[in-house]
Amino acid sequence: MDITIDDDQRLLRDTALAFAQKALTPARIRELETTEHGFDAKVWRQMAEMGWVGAVFPEQYGGSGAGLLELALIVEALGQAAVPSPIYSTVVEAGLLLLDAGSPAQRENYLPRIAAGDAIMTTAITEPGGGLAPGEIRTSIKPAGNGFTVNGTKLFVRDAGAAEGIICLGRSGDGENDLTLVIVPRDAPGLKLRRLQAAGGEALWEAIFDNMTVDADAIVGEPGGAWPHVARLQLRGAALKSAELVGIGQASLDLTLSYSKTRIQFERPIGSFQGVQHHCAEMYRDLEVSRLLAWQAAASLGEGLAGDRETAIAKAKTSEAMPAVTRTAHQVHGAIAYYRDYPLELYYHRAIAAQAAYGDAGHHRRALARLLREDLGRFRGDSPHDLPVHYV
Amino acid sequence: MELKLTVDEAAFRTEVRHFLKRELTPEVWQAHRDLNEQGMWTPDFTKAFRRKLGAAGYIGMGWPKEYGGGGRSRVYQAIFWDEMEYHRAPGLDRSITYVPNAIMALGSEAQKADLLPKMSLGELSWFVGYSEPDAGSDLASLKTRAVEDGDHFVITGQKSFSSDAHMADYGWIATRTDPTSSKHRGLSMFIVDMTLPGVTVTKYPTLAGWTHHAVHFDQVRVPRSMMVGELHQGWKVVMGAIDFERAALSGAGLVGYQFDRLLAWCMQDREGAGRKLDDPLVQDELVRLAIEAEGARLMSYWLASLHAKGFKPQHETSLALLVKRETARRLDVAGLELLGPFAPLRTGSPWAALEGEVEVEYRDHLYFQFAAGGFDITRNVVATRGLGLPR
Ligand SMILES: Cc1cc2nc3c(=O)[nH]c(=O)nc-3n(C[C@H](O)[C@H](O)[C@H](O)COP(=O)(O)OP(=O)(O)OC[C@H]3O[C@@H](n4cnc5c(N)ncnc54)[C@H](O)[C@@H]3O)c2cc1C
Repeated sequence: MDITIDDDQRLLRDTALAFAQKALTPARIRELETTEHGFDAKVWRQMAEMGWVGAVFPEQYGGSGAGLLELALIVEALGQAAVPSPIYSTVVEAGLLLLDAGSPAQRENYLPRIAAGDAIMTTAITEPGGGLAPGEIRTSIKPAGNGFTVNGTKLFVRDAGAAEGIICLGRSGDGENDLTLVIVPRDAPGLKLRRLQAAGGEALWEAIFDNMTVDADAIVGEPGGAWPHVARLQLRGAALKSAELVGIGQASLDLTLSYSKTRIQFERPIGSFQGVQHHCAEMYRDLEVSRLLAWQAAASLGEGLAGDRETAIAKAKTSEAMPAVTRTAHQVHGAIAYYRDYPLELYYHRAIAAQAAYGDAGHHRRALARLLREDLGRFRGDSPHDLPVHYV
Repeated sequence: MELKLTVDEAAFRTEVRHFLKRELTPEVWQAHRDLNEQGMWTPDFTKAFRRKLGAAGYIGMGWPKEYGGGGRSRVYQAIFWDEMEYHRAPGLDRSITYVPNAIMALGSEAQKADLLPKMSLGELSWFVGYSEPDAGSDLASLKTRAVEDGDHFVITGQKSFSSDAHMADYGWIATRTDPTSSKHRGLSMFIVDMTLPGVTVTKYPTLAGWTHHAVHFDQVRVPRSMMVGELHQGWKVVMGAIDFERAALSGAGLVGYQFDRLLAWCMQDREGAGRKLDDPLVQDELVRLAIEAEGARLMSYWLASLHAKGFKPQHETSLALLVKRETARRLDVAGLELLGPFAPLRTGSPWAALEGEVEVEYRDHLYFQFAAGGFDITRNVVATRGLGLPR
């Protein structure tokens, strides 16, 4: 057993962080929040050149075959520097979904271009119901002529405006899990996009599919067989958002520490007041626990283990604890950080968005409660101990 | 990152578990358990059991080979501590954890040669004499005096809150040797044979049921060879030893056991009331506790992994202990709530739930909050030593 990252992983994290912290000024990050696509294309290209966009794809597609833990370290660094990028839409969602479920032709077509930073892709899954259960999917994908027609409304579609294509989840039959995925070109007739104005750095969109037609070869995976792939995507997203939340927490703590060492009140640095010190110690405590939980989630998914329990634990914890860290950070800063030109606000906003993404804390606690009821062995993390039932 | 135990580590875990199950049968529990003792085991049984741990090679397994140890990595030690805590086995205390480690790191060659072989066989019991009536968290203000007299030091003073002093062969005693220099500079550490003339032990009952002690030293003559480290350098020894103490206390098994015990209770079909587990609020509580327990487990093995890879974690040790003990306290509180009207029923009472252990631990673990790595002091340490905030 080894609950640490190795030297290569440490180097990757340090390099990614050093890059991310220099890539954009806080002013530029704020400016990007007001643009249509929300990210800086030059920075995305640089990330591709560093090999981070393609990292998780096999070498045959221009990647380096890295694991999900490596991607988590990259995402943690991006979160810590508040750098917006289409890494969730393009890599975590569409790219790995295509690797998971796509046909050889689809993989050949998209993955090398994704890895090179040339193609932005995304997925459209969540609907106005707002949940992540298969039963909520109302969008229909019906056979028509040689292909299909798609009808429905999707929300929270990441980077739709910049994407070359959108992989859309729809209902293709009556069973609860009778769901199918199709790739839709973004400029296809019958697709209407509207940008949502949201906290945090991601560009989220509404996508309305209005009698849009696609060819038969637009299907990703087996017709009716989409759900296991989508469930896997949701877990992946949750594990990586946990890592991003850790980056957000780390940045908030770092800002707080340097501020409390230099801000003088009552003739002393405020960091010498015990109340402030205990706030900082609490932030640090939750940060380190969250970090280990996030790494564990990414590592277990990356190793092809079920990872459902580990991911739910990580996202439930980080979704509560890291926004709390940003609140405490503001407590220690006082008024100065209430102003937009102080960088802490970036993290306050990003925490709002990240805790909500791929299931909030309640969603993941509910998932754990389901394991508790239905699969006690998994709930207990394959614990080696028999339950001490001798008492009862 | 390797989330699973290696084949060899897993085999070791199984071996320890089988050892503990074989040794701690229900009959043994019945015969040697006494809630008036710390760890719920009688002193005689604790000592005998410690020798068995020694004979099985568990005590010294993580020590360097030069001190008769097994040279196994800290991950093995963490597994051992985990299993010992989970099975609530006796003897996992300073006598086999941090005192030997401190002697190895800070003791003289003669002390090592004399004491370590015996300690690896579990033959010695220790108490730690830091606290005094006027020196708690502010340990460096201690007053017990050691006065140089030829090749001896004469110790006079009082130690308080001395766990297990009644069964100790030796004391690990912090004293003041130079009252003229500043607080931290004039201290020296001694190993004191408890059979020496002038040592007396008095008893105090604790609210947890077990007996605690104070130890009085009245002109006790201790040979200079029993000083640990250099004269007046005792503070360094104390700080070094405290790191070992916190590491040894941070095992994952206690929290794991507390959680599993509550889970077992909630799964029981209670006459007329069904299973607690079927209540959604109870599920949410168990899930929240499981999340915290998993964090504590990872912190414990993270610490062991850092050691195994040759890092020297310091404030991380305090942090891991804080996480573990805060989680243990949450589980104590949750236990009271989940047991409902059965919570106050004491061990031995008709209808006691979980043999009354939740109520005992709710009282016993109270000391987690303020003793040896207490919550507020640990936050101070983490903020200043770990995060570099000004004092
Ligand atoms: C069960 C048990 C076993 C023990 N075993 C041993 C033993 O074997 N050997 C031994 O030497 N001692 C032992 N102790 C004593 C233990 O080490 C002390 O409890 C500890 O050092 C704290 O001292 P105190 O209890 O006198 O509290 P005090 O130091 O008087 O503190 C009281 C309260 O004030 C807080 N406080 C004090 N200073 C600060 C500060 N600077 N910042 C913030 N808060 C502060 C503390 O956190 C605590 O909440 C034991 C205690 C208990 C309860």
